[in-house]
This record gives sequence, C-alpha cells and structure tokens, in this order.
Amino acid sequence: MANINYNPNLSLCGGTPPAPAPAERAAAAPVAASPSVELHVCMGLNACKGHDRNGTNNCAGTGYCATATRHNCQTLNDCHGQGGCGLYGDSEQQMRPGSNECAWQGSCAVPIPAERYSTLGENTGKSVWLLARKLFEERMMKAKRTVGEPPFKCGPPENWLTSVLGSYDSCGNSGDKRCSFGFNNPEDHAKALCEGKKE
Amino acid sequence: MLQSKFFSADSEVTPANLGEAIQQAIEIEIATIPVYLYTYYSINRVPDQDSISGSLVQELVKSGRPVKEANKIALDLSAGIMVYANKAGALIMSVAIEEMLHMALSSNLKQALAGLPELIGKSPGVWPACLPGHEPEFPINRAKLSLDQLVTFLKIESPDPLPDKKLLAAPIPYKTIGLFYKMIMDCIKDNDLPYNTHSPQLLPGNAYYAQNNIDTVYYDKAHNPHFTNAPDSGDLLYVKDRESAIHAIHCIVEQGEGFPGAQGFDPDGSVDCEKMISPDYDDFDKEELSHFEKFAQIYCHYKSLNAQFNKLGIGKIEISDYFVINVAENPKTADYPAHIRPVSDFLNGVYTYLFVMVENCYKKSGNTQYELFMFGIHKSMIFILNSVCGDIMKLKYKVHEDGKEIEYVAAPTFEDYPFGLISSPKSQLIDLYTAALAVYPTISYLGQRVQDLPDVGL
Repeated sequence: MANINYNPNLSLCGGTPPAPAPAERAAAAPVAASPSVELHVCMGLNACKGHDRNGTNNCAGTGYCATATRHNCQTLNDCHGQGGCGLYGDSEQQMRPGSNECAWQGSCAVPIPAERYSTLGENTGKSVWLLARKLFEERMMKAKRTVGEPPFKCGPPENWLTSVLGSYDSCGNSGDKRCSFGFNNPEDHAKALCEGKKE
Repeated sequence: MLQSKFFSADSEVTPANLGEAIQQAIEIEIATIPVYLYTYYSINRVPDQDSISGSLVQELVKSGRPVKEANKIALDLSAGIMVYANKAGALIMSVAIEEMLHMALSSNLKQALAGLPELIGKSPGVWPACLPGHEPEFPINRAKLSLDQLVTFLKIESPDPLPDKKLLAAPIPYKTIGLFYKMIMDCIKDNDLPYNTHSPQLLPGNAYYAQNNIDTVYYDKAHNPHFTNAPDSGDLLYVKDRESAIHAIHCIVEQGEGFPGAQGFDPDGSVDCEKMISPDYDDFDKEELSHFEKFAQIYCHYKSLNAQFNKLGIGKIEISDYFVINVAENPKTADYPAHIRPVSDFLNGVYTYLFVMVENCYKKSGNTQYELFMFGIHKSMIFILNSVCGDIMKLKYKVHEDGKEIEYVAAPTFEDYPFGLISSPKSQLIDLYTAALAVYPTISYLGQRVQDLPDVGL
C-alpha cells in the first residue's frame, strides 16, 4: 500500500479500529442521584422542578440532564424507566425509551443523544429522543402537568453531551451517525431527524 | 478435517433417527457462527477516510493526474471504500445473528420432537472444519475478509448443489443445507409424530431476538442508514405441531438460500453479479436478501471496486489493505504467545459459557429462563464477548512463516473452552478472567460484568 500522509484537517470519517462496546470510565462516573429525585433518562424528560442532574430546572420537561445512572449499552440500566433505547432490542423494547419495566431491560445507552435513531419497530430510522419526549408528554398529560420546552428542541446533540460530560459513548460498530463521507451535510440529517422524518 | 458422525448407516431421515438429524442441523448452524464472526471482526468498519484519501491522491498523481482531479477522484473512491467496509460488516453480522436464530429454531424443533438440544462443546474443534455431512466436503476456515473467504461463505449458503468432484461414503449425505432440512421436513410431513409441548423452548415475544441492531446497519455515500434485515423475515417460533415445525424449517432455509428459483453459483462455478430476482429475497416485502445473496453482494461489490481502480490505473492497490485487519488464518489459542494466551482463553470461556446458558434455557422456563437470557446471554454477547473481541485485537504477535517474520493482530479464536466438572463454569470463567487480567490490565472494566453473570451448571 502507498504511504499515507494523514491530514487531520480533512476531517472526513472513520479512523478508529472496530469499536467494541466501550468501557465505563471511572472518572466519568455519574453523580449519585438523590433518592428523592425521580430518575429519568435524558434532557427534557423530568417530571418535576429540580429533578435534573443539576437540580436547577424550574418545571417539568425543562431539565438539562438525566438523573438515571449514565450507562452505555443495552441491559445496563439499574431499574424501571431507567433504560434508553434505539440501537439494540426488539421492536417492542425500541418503542419504550425511558419506560422499560425493570432492571437490565433497557435496550440502549443513557442519555439519549439527538442523533440516535431506532433500528427496529415502528420508529425505525426516526429519532429516539423525540419518541421518549412524546411518551413523557403523554404521561404528563394524564397527570395534568404543564410541560415546558426542553433546552434543545430535539434532545441533546452528541457534541454537547461530550462537552458537558467529558466523553460520550454508546455501543455499536457501524460508525458515527454525525460524520460525513464528503457527500452530505450532517446538519441536514440532524434537521430531518429533528423534524420527525425517517432516516 | 473434522467429520462428525451422526448416523451409522442411514442416508435418509426417518422417525428413528430424526433426533440425530435435527442435532446435526443444530451443529451445522453452530459451525457457521465462529466462521462468520471471525471474518466480521477482521473488518475495520470505520477506517480512516482521510488516510485512504491521502494515499489514493498520491497514487493518482503518480499515475499522471493533476492534483485537483486526483483529489476529486480520491474523495469519491475513499467514500466508496468507507461504504463498502461498513456494508460488508453489516451484512455479515446480519447473517451471523440469523444463524443464531437458526440454532435456536432447530433447538426448538429438537426439544419438541426428540428431546434436549446439545449445544455445549459443539463448535468445530479442528480447523479447517467442514459442515457436518455436506457433500462434497469443502474446507471452512476462520479467515479474514477476502474474495476466497466470501466464496466459502457462498458455498455454505448455496441454494444449488456444488459440483461433486468426489462422492464420499458419508454417513449423513446432503448437497445443500436446504436439502438437508428438506429431508427433516419430509420426515415430519410424512409421519404422525408426537410433539412435546411441555418442555421449555425459546419463544417469540420475549425480546430474545431482534432482527436488526446498530451493527446490522451501514451508511451509504450520503450517510443514510440502511437496515440489512427486514422485520418480517423471521423470528423465534414455538414448535408445537407439524405446521409450526414446517414453518420453522421454512424460515431457516429461506433466510439462508432464498425461495425456490433463487440464483446460486453460475454453471462454471463463478458468482453471478447480475440483478437480484424475486426468490433471492427471503421476505414477502422484498427488503431482505438471503444469506447467499448478501454474500454475493459483498463479493460483487468488491469486484466492482477493483474494476474501478483498474480503470483509473491504480489497480495494483489491494483495496482490502485499507480496512481488513491482518489476522492469521485459523489461529489456535495454544499457539498464541504468553501475553495473549490467557486473554484468548478468557474469550473462549465467555464464548462457551454462552452455549452453556443457551442450553440451560431449554431446561428452565418462565421468569427463570427470561432472566437467564436477558441478564446472561444478552449481556455476555454485547457487553463481554464483543468487548473482549475488540480488546484482544489491540494485541499483536510475531511468527516465522516461510523463513520470514510476520506480525499478526491477535484474533478471537472462538474455540470451545473445556469447562471441568469440579467447580461451576462461572467460577472457572472468573478464574480465566483473573488470569487474563494479570497479563492484560486493559480488561479490568470487565470484572464486574463477569461477576454479574448468572451461575449456570453444565
């Protein structure tokens, strides 16, 4: 093979070896949630005032971050309602982000980045976070609660999560949804996903 | 070469040997799993596009093209390679998960018709291996992705009999896997057999099986995701009567080989790269290709990339060098050096423990089975085995071959680990982990995951 001159400024895609399910990092371990705080899986999914990771949000649906334990793959959620979904799991599991029945029954990582889409079921190719938010709003409607706007309309972008958490990992070997091979604008994809369109 | 004997003399499936025949079917399915997984892990699904593009620019400029034109072509070619590497991985994984489904469906069949399926220690023990009973016999290697390896995959999944150079006096003769299953199906159709509906099976509706996951997805040139399996192509199935048994067999055969009339090898043994026809799909919506056709796609796509490179005058480039990892052919744990061997033993322990747990699912029902599957099997596959497969491939070793020193990347060998009877397999697995950790601290994050596994006996 010819010599390769790597130019990081090209910033196209790839460059890492096959990615196994990554390890949790001790340094990035989640802050233990107070027992009195409802545990939920992402931005904009809090039912009460002060129930986001910072404890500073004013009302339902406006929180910045998950209170459930951060984890990076299927089967690693601690309990009921604390699993993400989208990358693994059957079609039924993939319709229930943040509303799984029990420990180890969530089908993907927490938190749920805006870029994540479902890989099976009725929501295939569509935003997982928007589905989680829809389920949350339905629950709040039943509870007769007013829901505020989330900090990001379509959930936390992965870049933002990385900047806040220091790192963000979820499992899977197919590559980064946000990158481009040079023939598309990732922002257009993000916009389409945010509008509820199918990837 | 490995050749298991299932029948003493019979060459037909009858009610008397039906159990042995279904067990043979199970072992055929199991034999494919390490082969497909080994090749899967040899693929870097996300290679460095910048590096590929830079390399191609150099070659194109050397071949006389102006830099501006070379840059444009290199971007296009490098995107093509990115798509190919990702697609090849997704398609192979999409087949591998369906082979696991077939193992479970065949096990359900056996549980219903002949008793407990045997799964532990049934992976090929000698490599090159062969499909138990296939005529003609052909070698199957754990090898990195190549056109030769893809031809082997196509032979495994061929809907048509392969050219018969030498008929063996094999005790279990069949020409294609589909024809072997047909013998079983004919026996089921022609006989009024009793069905055991009391013993546990792996049933649908429990989230045990998912047709797609993020690893069966690939991105095209515009970075749109493609889902390689269709939700209606097959699922677990409760085998409780003749109709459901036949349904299970149809699912296995059609996912592998397509419907009757599907295209196989051309008469001269070459791969047909023409357009797909309806029977090449295994689902009614024509969204999922059969295993044979998926592998034909990977084969033909590679050929077309090669042709593109030749046309541009850079055909000397071996495209696979950009994304295929240099792993040895059929490595054995025993041959690995001391800094790798314990890690490989641990990996094989996890691999074997998966079969221990699946076999136990046929002894347990209800919530016990559910917890074993969800907490043990899913976690082991995704969060331990996949992780340690990635970790072991960060290790390298050198061997002397043909008077030269060659460096290889260590690969998962997927050998059955011989768990002993003195202590539980889980306690032995913990010991294997401890030994591996001593030589490779990188895997320290796996300790709790191993501890969390259910404790299941042999």
